[in-house]
Amino acid sequence: MKNTIVIFVICLAIISISFGQEKETPPSGSEPKNFLLPQREELQLENGVKLVMIPYGGIPKASVRITVSTGNIHEEIDKIWMSNLVSNLMQEGSISMSAKDIADKMANMGGDLNIFVTPHNTNIQSSVLYEFVPDAIALMVDVLINPAFPESEMVRLKNDMKRNLSVELTKPGSLATQEFFKQLYPNHPYGRYFPTEEMIDSYTLDDVKEFYGKNFGGKCTTIYIAGKFDIEKAKKAAVGALTNWKEGLESEYSIGEPVTQGEITLIDRPGAPQSTLLVGLPVADPSNPDYIAVDVMNSLLGGSFGSRITSNIREDKGYTYSPRSRVSAKYKSSIWYEQADVTTEFTGPSLQEISKEIERLRNEAPSEKELDGIKNYEAGLFVLRNSIPNGIIEQLVFLDVHDLEDDYLVNRVKEIYSLTPKDIQNMAKKYLRSKDMTLVIVGDKVKIQNQIDEYEKLLDTLK
Amino acid sequence: MKIKIQVFLLGLLFLLSCSKIAKENESGSFKVPVDYYTLENGLKVILSQDKTAPTIVIAVYYNIGFRIEPKDRTGFAHLFEHMMFQGSRNLGKMEFVKLIQQNGGVLNGSTRFDFTNYFEIVPSHKLETILWAEADRMKGLAITQDNLANQQGVVKNEVKVNVLNKPYGGFPWLDMPQYANENWYNAHNFYGDLEDLDSANLEDVQSFFSTYYSPNNAALSIVGDFETEEAKEWINKYFGGIPSVDLPKRPDISEPRQEIEKKFTKDDSLATKPATAVAYKMPERNTPEYYAMGLLDQILVQGNNSLLTQKLVKENGYTSNVNGGINYLGNMFNYNGPMVWMFNCTYDATTSEDSLIYSIDQVLAEVEKGVNQEMIDNAIVKIRSELYDDLGNYFGMGRADLLCSFALFDNDPARINQIEKEFKQITPKIMNKTVKEFLRKSNRTILTVNPLGSSQVSSTKL
Repeated sequence: MKNTIVIFVICLAIISISFGQEKETPPSGSEPKNFLLPQREELQLENGVKLVMIPYGGIPKASVRITVSTGNIHEEIDKIWMSNLVSNLMQEGSISMSAKDIADKMANMGGDLNIFVTPHNTNIQSSVLYEFVPDAIALMVDVLINPAFPESEMVRLKNDMKRNLSVELTKPGSLATQEFFKQLYPNHPYGRYFPTEEMIDSYTLDDVKEFYGKNFGGKCTTIYIAGKFDIEKAKKAAVGALTNWKEGLESEYSIGEPVTQGEITLIDRPGAPQSTLLVGLPVADPSNPDYIAVDVMNSLLGGSFGSRITSNIREDKGYTYSPRSRVSAKYKSSIWYEQADVTTEFTGPSLQEISKEIERLRNEAPSEKELDGIKNYEAGLFVLRNSIPNGIIEQLVFLDVHDLEDDYLVNRVKEIYSLTPKDIQNMAKKYLRSKDMTLVIVGDKVKIQNQIDEYEKLLDTLK
Repeated sequence: MKIKIQVFLLGLLFLLSCSKIAKENESGSFKVPVDYYTLENGLKVILSQDKTAPTIVIAVYYNIGFRIEPKDRTGFAHLFEHMMFQGSRNLGKMEFVKLIQQNGGVLNGSTRFDFTNYFEIVPSHKLETILWAEADRMKGLAITQDNLANQQGVVKNEVKVNVLNKPYGGFPWLDMPQYANENWYNAHNFYGDLEDLDSANLEDVQSFFSTYYSPNNAALSIVGDFETEEAKEWINKYFGGIPSVDLPKRPDISEPRQEIEKKFTKDDSLATKPATAVAYKMPERNTPEYYAMGLLDQILVQGNNSLLTQKLVKENGYTSNVNGGINYLGNMFNYNGPMVWMFNCTYDATTSEDSLIYSIDQVLAEVEKGVNQEMIDNAIVKIRSELYDDLGNYFGMGRADLLCSFALFDNDPARINQIEKEFKQITPKIMNKTVKEFLRKSNRTILTVNPLGSSQVSSTKL
């Protein structure tokens, strides 16, 4: 103890700041203000289309997002990125408007049409100036329900896709992610990240039309409008444009059954100055009562800057710049994983430290103080997410994808605050079993093989 | 519209998405409230109230960017940014970060051409706590050799993950200034050579801090849900007593007029496809030509309907995306010195660089024929919309950014409400004059990535 004090004093002397006085502590601030979720108005058309409007804020712009409950999850095993090709081709014009017309019209509303695909949704999105919201809705709906699917653009779009694929496959993070999810979901679209060039070459216009015909329709479409807009005019535009669209089928998501056998996979990247690590396993999904506790556990363990793993391998050891853990929520299943790009020579030590932090949480409940801090952080993030138009839309889309009710949002903060240190330890005990985790490493095999062998020895000592 | 590259960030912000926050106002004439004053010690303070949500942004900008860091210490301004999180007079290592998170907030810092910034977004009832903490670290750092060594490790890993171990790492945002510019201040490696990063010592850190991190070299902006009188009282209480310092004379960062077209190739052993970036030196900030370049940026590269996107993506199918803009590390307002307007794309080896440049020249030839009022009007709609997005960006952080930048560079944060007017004053005549002087071939630099990588990888189950 005495030594520590001496060292401390010397350091202070070097930087010549007077520390004669007592340390000050920060003022605590006042009482939190009440936060309510922004009010929204919803209605449903006869063909199943849902309209959700959230008037919010004063900047004269609104976000319009049309989501269709179809995405990569509906792709056949030999048709990976088919939903992306469908969305790219939708961008090429409707029956009555060319792609250039659409681009010019959107630009003159202060927007840009963006169509993107996630595992669960196809999204048509733009953010436009206040006065153009009804026009933007009409245009975006036209793109949705009357796509021209011009064959003339197929070759170009497939070339773009192959080029992007080639670039993706040179990124260590992409390689690691592809391999990691392939192992966790060997029999589900969640495990199929990238197509092959040959696959892309084989896609035809008929495939595109078939995918669209099968997966698009009123019953699986929601249109969200958030921001500053005239609610009556927006409603009129949406209802007018969508009323006569086909119903289509209800969307169904297949449930992926994640598997993990504690395998370690090394993807060799000779000369790499860093190793890219992904390590994790299945945990509770959003419909499971454990989910909120798992989410808070994640923030404490690796999912925030002040978290244990980040404090350890970044702020204490300097092994990495960008470590983080996350819960990747899938439909009725979820994966927890830690991801980090670490200096090659500290690959093994980084893995060991990650394991140590996991074991520490399994063996010992966090202090009340540490957990209270994380609860405040989670509650604060919740307010932030719900205080911007796109954030509100994201939250509502999350409810839809995971079949959750409003309670999930309404009770969220209360549930976060009800968690105890023991709850968090129990989640770690129940789910985070180091020996069962799937580990993928992209790095220089010659330099890291021994380090991984050492890490395996450590795993063998764990229960 | 524009893909913003998030680099030179400390990497603290663990958040989902960015977007907008707002204040009740009439459409079409959105006006940002600006309450601006300077403390006796020189600290510039800008308050902008917005009660949409019970959140608040606190931003502190120091008028020191990476372009004027010490000559044998490349990357130092950025390394120093990391040190500002390592401990202060009263808060030890990680305590600053934990203070923000445990109060329900997020935080980050970044280093840019002409400033280094720090910001927090927190529930509004924590304003006093955060003001105390920012003032506390402005008063003094208490860093150790251990913390310096640790952050040297972190920053070297940041360079590896963003540049050395990544295909197209550093292209073109970090590379182009080094090729296009002549003056060392604008043309060195801002991220830092690993050797320079290693040789930085505690003395450097201390001297950099006492030179540049003074109240008279800083601006503090608060955007969000606060009470004005209360906020002013706290600002005075916590920042008022920090002494000002004598600031060193700024080095000359001007660039000579470019007289010949420059072409470079950069080998990239990780990339599999060629990529090219084209940069033109910008007119001086705040001149009519500068605003005209802002409009040309909209006309040529911003959004699906921009002329270069239409030509290179839709018509020729060379690429799936043209990325571009003024100041890849921010926007056209948050810098103060020479800058380039740039665009870049990735394409197949079957497309020659010559064909690509030929197509670009065809587009520019169209613009050289003359820009009409309709093109200007359409560009202004896009700019107005983008500006509103900037104001809402990151829960109001975009607004704090413009307020601090205009305070530091122009001593006039109210300029935030003049931007639209400045663009509206641009005539076809000014546009054409700008095209002639600034989009001339002899004012451009072309940098092409030569891909040496193969996509073959092997994986082993252990």
